[in-house]
Amino acid sequence: MAAALEPINTNPTYADIDRGVHRIMDPPGLMFWAWIAFCAALVGIAAALWTRQIYVGLGVSGLRQPNMWAVYITNFVFWVGIAHSGTLISAILYLFRTRWRTAVYRLAETMTLFAVLTAGLFPLVHLGRVWNAYWLLPYPNERYLQPNFRSPLVWDAFAVSTYLTISATFLLMGLIPDVANARDAAKGWRRTFYAILSFGWRGTDEQWRHFQMMYLLLAGLATPLVISVHSVVSWDFAMAQLPGWHSTIFAPYFVAGAILSGVAMVLTLLIPMRRLLNLEELITPWHLDNLAKVVLLTSLIVSYSYITETFITWYSQDQYEVVTFHARYFGHYGPLFWLMVWGNCVFPLVLFSPRIRRSTVPLFIVTIFVNIGMWLERFVIIAGSLATNFNPSQWGIFHPSITEIMITVGSFAWFLMLFSLFARYLPIISMTELKEGIRWLRQSLRDDYYPSIK
Amino acid sequence: MSAEIELVGTFADEEGCVHGVEVLKRAGIAYRVFAPIPSEHLLHAIGRGLSPVRAIVLIGAITGVLTGVAITVGTSWEWNLIVGGKPVVSWPPFIIIMFELMILFGGLSAALSFFFFARMPQLDPIAGYSERFSADRFGIAVECDEADSARIEAMMREAGAEEIAHEDPRTVPVAH
Amino acid sequence: MASQPQTSRRPIAPQIVPGAEGIRTSIPIIVVCAILTLIGVAGFVAGIMTETEPHAWEAFLVNFLFFFSVAQGGLAISASFYLTQARWGGPGAYRLAESFYVFLPVAFVLFWVLFFGRAELWPWVTKPVAKNPTWLNTPFFFAREGFALLAMVALDLWFVRVSQRVDVRQWALSNDNITMPPDAIRRLAPAVAIVYAVVMSLVAFDLIMSLAPAWKSTLFGAFFFAGAFWSGIVAMALTAVVLRGRLPSGNLFTRDSIMHDLGKFTFAFSVFWAYTLFAQYIVIWYGDIPNETFFLVVRGAIIGGYTGFTPWRIPTWTVPVLVWVIPFCFLMGVKPKKTPAILGTVALLGLVGMWIERYVLVVPSLSPYRIPFNWIEAAVTLGFLGIFGLCAIPGLKLTIAAATAPQVLEAAEE
Repeated sequence: MAAALEPINTNPTYADIDRGVHRIMDPPGLMFWAWIAFCAALVGIAAALWTRQIYVGLGVSGLRQPNMWAVYITNFVFWVGIAHSGTLISAILYLFRTRWRTAVYRLAETMTLFAVLTAGLFPLVHLGRVWNAYWLLPYPNERYLQPNFRSPLVWDAFAVSTYLTISATFLLMGLIPDVANARDAAKGWRRTFYAILSFGWRGTDEQWRHFQMMYLLLAGLATPLVISVHSVVSWDFAMAQLPGWHSTIFAPYFVAGAILSGVAMVLTLLIPMRRLLNLEELITPWHLDNLAKVVLLTSLIVSYSYITETFITWYSQDQYEVVTFHARYFGHYGPLFWLMVWGNCVFPLVLFSPRIRRSTVPLFIVTIFVNIGMWLERFVIIAGSLATNFNPSQWGIFHPSITEIMITVGSFAWFLMLFSLFARYLPIISMTELKEGIRWLRQSLRDDYYPSIK
Repeated sequence: MSAEIELVGTFADEEGCVHGVEVLKRAGIAYRVFAPIPSEHLLHAIGRGLSPVRAIVLIGAITGVLTGVAITVGTSWEWNLIVGGKPVVSWPPFIIIMFELMILFGGLSAALSFFFFARMPQLDPIAGYSERFSADRFGIAVECDEADSARIEAMMREAGAEEIAHEDPRTVPVAH
Repeated sequence: MASQPQTSRRPIAPQIVPGAEGIRTSIPIIVVCAILTLIGVAGFVAGIMTETEPHAWEAFLVNFLFFFSVAQGGLAISASFYLTQARWGGPGAYRLAESFYVFLPVAFVLFWVLFFGRAELWPWVTKPVAKNPTWLNTPFFFAREGFALLAMVALDLWFVRVSQRVDVRQWALSNDNITMPPDAIRRLAPAVAIVYAVVMSLVAFDLIMSLAPAWKSTLFGAFFFAGAFWSGIVAMALTAVVLRGRLPSGNLFTRDSIMHDLGKFTFAFSVFWAYTLFAQYIVIWYGDIPNETFFLVVRGAIIGGYTGFTPWRIPTWTVPVLVWVIPFCFLMGVKPKKTPAILGTVALLGLVGMWIERYVLVVPSLSPYRIPFNWIEAAVTLGFLGIFGLCAIPGLKLTIAAATAPQVLEAAEE
């Protein structure tokens, strides 16, 4: 499986790990800046179209009755979902003392932060009068109104902003020992930059003592936060009485789907990065194997949810639900639905094979399909259910406009741009934790690259 | 009183550092450890107990819950409109807000109390620190009289120190 | 994060972790369980003879669901330990989780007794549901339930047999590496987990949800198997606390880390159960659709508005207090988790709470206005307790053997 051009060092030392990660932070070349420019251009187009939308009105989007939520909200839910797996890998797996988490969790956390930043744009994009966005905050005012805390949209505002704050905090705190390492090895403006971010960390026993407690507690707090945020997002839909939306399983179903799309996105980012930056000695097939298992597990949970929803609809024979589900499978959005089933449920079943889990190209393809499938899942649930609501005279199919398409593309570019910048300027692999778990790294290097030598 | 110097012992691995700590602790000498990785083993050997960050986080979390109650119930009473047929003070949705604020306040308390107790941002230099200690070496720094230094050096070498540097102590004292 | 010193462990001989041969079964326990069983049978028969109200049948169903959940939950826990390669307790943790496996085939046999009471329990037996007679009819119902339970119990027994094999026990002993468990158990563990989710959901939808055929909740299956999983955890915790005192000193359950881990599981999964409960509650409360809310209104779960007082409110609200509030408050810190008295009490109260939960899910559909608990139901409950106790003996002997084996004690963390 390892097509390394040089022999892999199966007995790395702390210094080897440092060297490997510092190499990623070397000044990037022309290709990198070309990539950033390309992303920035797409972001620029999206920003221009959004500005036009603010000026002209939401009519430039495809939103028409009855589909008042469509692509923008799909993007919102999709990006919040992506964000969740980062916290899962870094916080929840920390609590489980999982050994393979160390090489990949920083990348996942970074992905989380930028995914939440991307997601947070979309409620604003979706607002007709963006300049009134501050009305969501509870402060004494003369409008004879306070935010309606009974509304799931207000729960959303609290949940997503809490998530943004806590994941940024978690990332920043976890970075401190690593950034101190980078500071000590750097010169010039970088040294100052890292020194500020490290807050003067020297790794004394007192500092570590408080750090460990703080990190453990943040992980313990972030874990229920992950579950609650995407549950709250799912309740944006489940609180309605709309068939296809009103379902008690939405909360854990969306959480599982979020983790599925997020871990798939981690792999989508990790596999090319590992190849481009020659990280085979730090991220081994063992790490990929375990991430793939999480993808498989969450894919099975999502399949369970689809089957349960279909079964209960059939069991209850509720006329409205039956029509909605029939339209979902065989109606206008049918092809999208079946593509979604392929990407989320059927294709990931190949991950039952250990060989596929450990090979980069098949795994990459599976995760691309998962990402497509999960985006489509949000769209099919949101726009598809709205299209066939209680009253047939209201039914209507949604078609995206160029504004929505370019803003969606721009959101991907925005995310990738921020992520790439972070990856080249800050430690994207946690040196500290990798060193702490160096025994497992050495074992996996031996087992994965030279299995015949025991 | 002869001159005070800083002895900094460098250890190549965690075990050696733990051994050094145990030796110094037995002899009742004050020390400071520098480590590039978190080590439960080391913290256990030093034996300072659990950090008070815990208590602050608990207080923060409870504050968050109470703030949640105050905001939701307070604003609902202030403009008491019946919305969506739900009671003015309806607990199921309010529980969600209370929960989110609990996590928010708890998490921020964790970060802020960590900075407070670890005395960060650490703007002044710390005596004995070397750049190797964030890379691949552990270090133990002891501030002592010049007269004592030979004895302490011997203890550290016996515990497995690779090298021992003599430095001038700076403004920051060793004692915790 | 525990950083262990780099000492090598000497290789462990294959005759590790002796079986249950040396452990004597306590005669008083057998006698007590036998007496309880007889009380149960007597109460059940008496209940059937006085056929006016279905006391015997509802008690049978509630107890079947509760004890089956505890035993099956334990197996799901063992499977998830293999899936996460958990070796914090060595083979002891696996034996502890599997302690009640002998009850599973017995439960399968007991299920068929329900066939004879079907008319008293499920309304659609005598009055077919107009909307969906294809699903809710006697032949299909018992065929699918029978097949599902048979498949799951067979898989469970196969899993336990492999889990007790020497090479698997050997793997569980060493925590020093990242090797995967042996192939056989590596394939069986995910199978058990998947079949558990599917079959337990089916049991919930069929045996409980169809008692009120107008009601539906998509999360109900997961809610049921989350409760079953937690029942297994607290049963493990209670067993560990009890055995800790009764086994020779220095046994596995005196290790602080084992208590701590069991306490963490109890805490975490009680929160998960509360989450599945809240997720259903908030959707039903907010939607306010009569076809969904009646289920909660009958159980007194909805307070305020037009709902008056119903006696069911008391047991209904007791459940989240026993299953969530008490574990949450009393097991939050590190020290309480390591204190056997606290962990044991919380676990015992939790088991009582889960029993009441099964009762509150089943019986209000049959008796919406009053709580029908009487001496017949109490007798049937004791009977199930007796049967469960007898079935627990073989598994517990293996657990005791693992908890006192020197190899396990050497290998387990401090």
